[in-house]
Amino acid sequence: MNPYEPVLTKIKKIIPETSTITTFILEGMPIEFQAGQFAELSVLGVGEAPFTPSSSPYARDLEFTIMKVGRMTQALFELKEDDTIGIRGPLGKPYPLDNFKKKDVFIVGGGVGFAPLRSLLLTLVENITDYKKIFIRYGARTPKDIIYKYLLPEWVKIKNVDILLTVDVGDEEWKGRVGVVTTILDQIPVDVKTTPAIVCGPPLMMKFTTQRLVEAGFKDSNIYLSMEKNMSCGIGKCNHCRVGKFYVCKDGPVLTWKDVKDIENPFV
Amino acid sequence: MNLFLLPHKNLAEFIKRLSIKMRVFYPFSENGKNHIVEYKSGQQFSPDFTRVRTAENIKHFFFPSRDIVARFPTALNQRAKFQILIGVKNCDLRGIEVYDRVFLNWVPADNIYKERREKSIIISADCPEPQDTCFCNFVGLNPFASGISDVNLSVIKSGYLFEVFTENGQKLIRENQDLFNNADNEGINEREIIRKKALEKLENINKRRLTEKISELVEKADKNAVHNARDECVECFSCLYCCPTCYCFLLNDYKKSDNVERIRVWDACYYSAYARVGGGANPRSRIDERFWNRFQCKFNYFYQYEKFFACSGCGRCFVGCSAKIDIREVLGKL
Repeated sequence: MNPYEPVLTKIKKIIPETSTITTFILEGMPIEFQAGQFAELSVLGVGEAPFTPSSSPYARDLEFTIMKVGRMTQALFELKEDDTIGIRGPLGKPYPLDNFKKKDVFIVGGGVGFAPLRSLLLTLVENITDYKKIFIRYGARTPKDIIYKYLLPEWVKIKNVDILLTVDVGDEEWKGRVGVVTTILDQIPVDVKTTPAIVCGPPLMMKFTTQRLVEAGFKDSNIYLSMEKNMSCGIGKCNHCRVGKFYVCKDGPVLTWKDVKDIENPFV
Repeated sequence: MNLFLLPHKNLAEFIKRLSIKMRVFYPFSENGKNHIVEYKSGQQFSPDFTRVRTAENIKHFFFPSRDIVARFPTALNQRAKFQILIGVKNCDLRGIEVYDRVFLNWVPADNIYKERREKSIIISADCPEPQDTCFCNFVGLNPFASGISDVNLSVIKSGYLFEVFTENGQKLIRENQDLFNNADNEGINEREIIRKKALEKLENINKRRLTEKISELVEKADKNAVHNARDECVECFSCLYCCPTCYCFLLNDYKKSDNVERIRVWDACYYSAYARVGGGANPRSRIDERFWNRFQCKFNYFYQYEKFFACSGCGRCFVGCSAKIDIREVLGKL
């Protein structure tokens, strides 16, 4: 088997989420994955970039929610439904769900960082009785930047799922909390000594959220962080994504605060 | 020991026979340097097995600077050619040792590297005349091989003393047994004396050997930015491209008629954009950070995984460095 060769599939549906974030639904399930693992998507002839699926591993289709930030995503956003796309994976390690069982699960997301957390949420919901309660704390810059608005009403109805949103800057219609995501972490209604906290978002959000969680008493080994690094090969060989001795693509993409806390500014 | 003697007069015939089945490469001395050249039947054949490692390193044969690693939708069907490398020094075998860990042992294996490795035979050679830029002993190696290659040769008065390490090496000798004699004690003793002298010379050049403690020291140096690389390094990256243990690469996709070719090219961790992500964040934007990252990679992180340093002591980095930064001096100051 050639680990550098992608599987080709087609884009089944494109759902714009915000002005810069779009969900791409691929045809069928070209790769089998578990929540937390990622894949390298390629625009033919342009190149590859790493993304974590936002859909449930139990779903029929594979989805990615992606923000337009660089050369590859620019080309990706020019693709249309039925266009061909390459995918290589699954890569990396999944969330250690066994460590979450019989406990509360505290999920904190920021911006497009909610995409892999959605995959985790849907995985947890699939076996909801295995966990005590799932808390979701999500922050976006403005109400217009909130992703999965059309799904939130359904998630709110799920028993044992507690969702709280905030935006940095509100508008006339926004009735919810205003402030960066750490402002809705002032009250953490879980047993911080045993609860796993799962964080994904932009670097600054990750930094300050982690600080807040540590202050609140979460154990370093219970704070799971999605690391955004330059994962070129995705199989622990090319060396680009290394953080300390860890290859984010192979040992991650989720590492714990215990793994990275001694590294100078691990979120950049 | 599995030792055989190839008399001087039989070398040319031995190489000629090998070249019938596979491409043969050997070290050839020109203008004071050894270079890797391909054996061509009928052309002059005058290898130099005693001079230090070749100017080029042998990673090109297994991990070329530019390599098509995938093609789609029409899958790649390239087959590696059989090849035999003769006269490889122990420092370059350290490079192979590193690559074997990264591309074969670390899951998933790299199928392209695996095929090239399986279709290659390596005959290493002792290094009896180390030069001032050599420091294999500094990183824990000897100036002669004791594994990794299939066979090792030592030049002695009566010919070439071959020591076999692998089944492939055994086969090589067996198929050409009419050219070999059994080694005698006199030849073996001569080899030991030559090796001892080489080691003594190296120990005069490099009086110390790195210990495992260097991993910790490098980590501390990184944090405290000891050694201001900005004052010296001109960012030519020569040290990285000529290094036999560096394995960083990038994957680039190019359209070629109806297909896309995925090309693997060597990369260098000193590039400012090396670790930058699509959104623009760059964990190592300063040369100091990148400079120490290289040392961390070779003397700390790799060591933590494999318990040996990802440095061969070949000295190419120092020879090629525009600013003449010597790894030994940098580490020696820690």
